[in-house]
Amino acid sequence: MDRQIRVRIACTIALLAAACASAQAQERKYPSRPVDMIVNFGPGGGADQLGRIMSKLLEPVLGVPVPVSNIAGASGNAGLSKVLGSTPDGYTLGTLTGLSVSAWAGGLGKLQIRDFAFIAVVQSSPSMLFVPNDSRILDYRRMLDAAKANPGKLRVATAGYGTLDDIAVKFLATKGFPMVNVPFAKPGERYMSPLGGHSEILFEEPGDVVQFIDSKQYRPIVVFGARRHPAFPDTPASGEFGHDVDLPNWRAIVAAAKVPADTLAALNAAVAKALDSPDWRKFCGETYTCIERKSPEESRQFAQRNYDDVSKFMKDYGMIK
Amino acid sequence: MEALAGFANGMVVALQPLHLALMIVGVLVGVIAGALPGISFVNAMAISLPFTYLMSPLVAMVFLGGIYVGGVFGGSISSLLVNIPGDPDSLPSCWDGYPITLRDGPERSLSIAITASAIGGLFSAFLLSFASPPFARLALSFDQPEFFAATFMGLVSVLSISKGNLLLSLLSLFLGVAIGSIGTDPLYGVTRLTFGIGLLDNGIDFVVVMIGLFAIGEVIDALASRQGYDFNVKRKGAMKVLGLRDIWKLRGSISRGTGVGSVIGIIPGAGAAVGALVAYGVERQVNRRRSEFGTGIEDGLAAPEASKNATTGTAMIPLLTLGIPGSAGAAIMLAALTLHGVQPGPLLYSKNPEMLYAIFASFTLANLFMVAISVLVARAFGMLMKTDPTVICAFIVVFSVVGAFGVRNNIADVYICLGFGIAGFYMKRFGFPTAPLVLGVILGPLAESYFLTSMANYHDDLSIFFTRPRSGALMALAFGFIFWALAPELRAVWRRVRG
Repeated sequence: MDRQIRVRIACTIALLAAACASAQAQERKYPSRPVDMIVNFGPGGGADQLGRIMSKLLEPVLGVPVPVSNIAGASGNAGLSKVLGSTPDGYTLGTLTGLSVSAWAGGLGKLQIRDFAFIAVVQSSPSMLFVPNDSRILDYRRMLDAAKANPGKLRVATAGYGTLDDIAVKFLATKGFPMVNVPFAKPGERYMSPLGGHSEILFEEPGDVVQFIDSKQYRPIVVFGARRHPAFPDTPASGEFGHDVDLPNWRAIVAAAKVPADTLAALNAAVAKALDSPDWRKFCGETYTCIERKSPEESRQFAQRNYDDVSKFMKDYGMIK
Repeated sequence: MEALAGFANGMVVALQPLHLALMIVGVLVGVIAGALPGISFVNAMAISLPFTYLMSPLVAMVFLGGIYVGGVFGGSISSLLVNIPGDPDSLPSCWDGYPITLRDGPERSLSIAITASAIGGLFSAFLLSFASPPFARLALSFDQPEFFAATFMGLVSVLSISKGNLLLSLLSLFLGVAIGSIGTDPLYGVTRLTFGIGLLDNGIDFVVVMIGLFAIGEVIDALASRQGYDFNVKRKGAMKVLGLRDIWKLRGSISRGTGVGSVIGIIPGAGAAVGALVAYGVERQVNRRRSEFGTGIEDGLAAPEASKNATTGTAMIPLLTLGIPGSAGAAIMLAALTLHGVQPGPLLYSKNPEMLYAIFASFTLANLFMVAISVLVARAFGMLMKTDPTVICAFIVVFSVVGAFGVRNNIADVYICLGFGIAGFYMKRFGFPTAPLVLGVILGPLAESYFLTSMANYHDDLSIFFTRPRSGALMALAFGFIFWALAPELRAVWRRVRG
């Protein structure tokens, strides 16, 4: 029993020592020690891929290791709280996605845009509807006709209620095309459902279902937005049907808002260099998420605009009060 | 025939020194990580992920596959030696396995567990190698009602572990379901049962609950016991793979477990823990000696062991054929593949069949090597039995805290884990069953999301669970189990009503 207590005391001292060590060693040229990259979703998803590729590309530019840790939970808010909770010295970066921002708009958690310093919005993906390749729904027009003819019959597999997916389904319902939102907690289940014939339509961003598109299991029928996506020239935009709804899922690299301006500028320059690399061009091309370069200020405005859009939809559709 | 030739070629690739060496290292890492209470093999896979950047996609898959196969078994080592499950999937192995250890020595229980796991794993690897396309079609034909029915079967299996005190077991189960529903709900994003405590917004992970109740609880029990604490495990002979005659005696339970596990493996999100639980429940209902279960019946250990390793191969089928991961372990392999720019799915079959068959072959080999490596690791762990229990307890605390933190890199999980440790201690002292609680925390959230999605998909029609043929069959089986288990109780009530 004595030994037990001694072991615990030793552990406590070791932990405290580690905590003190990390609190020291500042005041030198940035960056002089490893920069943490906190991915606010679990391994394997879009945010994880971004964090890991960014870490690989930033390491040679910054000249220090950029270790990745995944802190998932609460629509990404758990990891973001961790970013805000660390010392605002530029040594803790995080991924922030549009999904978390729409969750804030929906009233989840207490985080706000202004809590974060935006280093850059680096990816933006269109939202699209897909059907299995052998589906009887040949195109968007016919989907709308079927939805109008059989209200509430067509089922759209989505990521849940209160999400962009939900907004899209509600938007179409207000235009006179009611369909059922079938929420799935796990992406794998969501992709299986229309493929197995258990629902009809899939709401997703193309980057997450590349393998299904390439293997001709799913085909896109519409992209939400005013214009077609350059990678899918044959897929009509919802704007062509008068459906003005733009629901991009974007991803950014952020830090806590209190990070000094010169550190932020250094980080933005480093990220800009990473974005110029062939590796990044290949990655964003394959995931259909390339966007033009954005400064910290432009990035913040972009995020704010998205938040306002989503809030407005949610208010209109009674998803929030 | 073509498949056979492909498999033979794959075997040649898998046997190349580099591939073989990394596969063995993977199995070793998996078995050890699995065996350490607190450190799950999924953690080990996630931690190993960055190392796989340096490898080719095939080597990465071989390595991670080794950890996966070894890790699913590894948890049983601590289940059988110290009655603390090393991983959630090894929980059912405690129920009949640990009594066998106490009665016949750890060699007997470990031999049964290793042999049953290897048979289940090998069969599953063969299904992966030769029956992927039909199994992929089977996977697609399952929908949320079927998933719900399978999870419901798992929940019903609590009746089978109640050991006489049905009411307390059910109470424990529902408490577990309530704990599992704490936090942000999966579909609406509403927080529940958090009482405004921010720590609880992310919910309570079942791994944290399990580490707390079993590992920390056991340590507190050891600290609180007046006389010298002892795990009571005595060696009685040598560890060996079971002989054919022993395997023949267990053929029923091993084949039932393998069958259950192979099918549960293809359900996304279910995985080895659900496979082992359902297999134990089924065995408990159909076995001739069902009334003696929990006292060290060898079939009761063989079935969940065979089942949990039988999930490993089939969980890879939806991943490789459709691009959909069937378990947490398979999800990390998906991440490894996508990071290498390889897209799993039907295209892999046409574009890169050599790589596929090499993966199949190395999964098969991993199950064979698992036997040898597990025997070695179990021996090393067996030596620990001679160590002063206080030292072991100290290590258990460290691993538990690290493991609880590692689930989500969240310090709140450590506090929750320690809290459950104290609860586990008192539950044990007062004879309140802990296993049903863990079952509730594992299966409750799964059942909820399957149920809600089923309702959304089928216009809130409750009868869907009974009218779809496969789901209906599972539900009928589950209700059969309920009435079977309640029969003595009901008879007593009936008698009292009449007289």
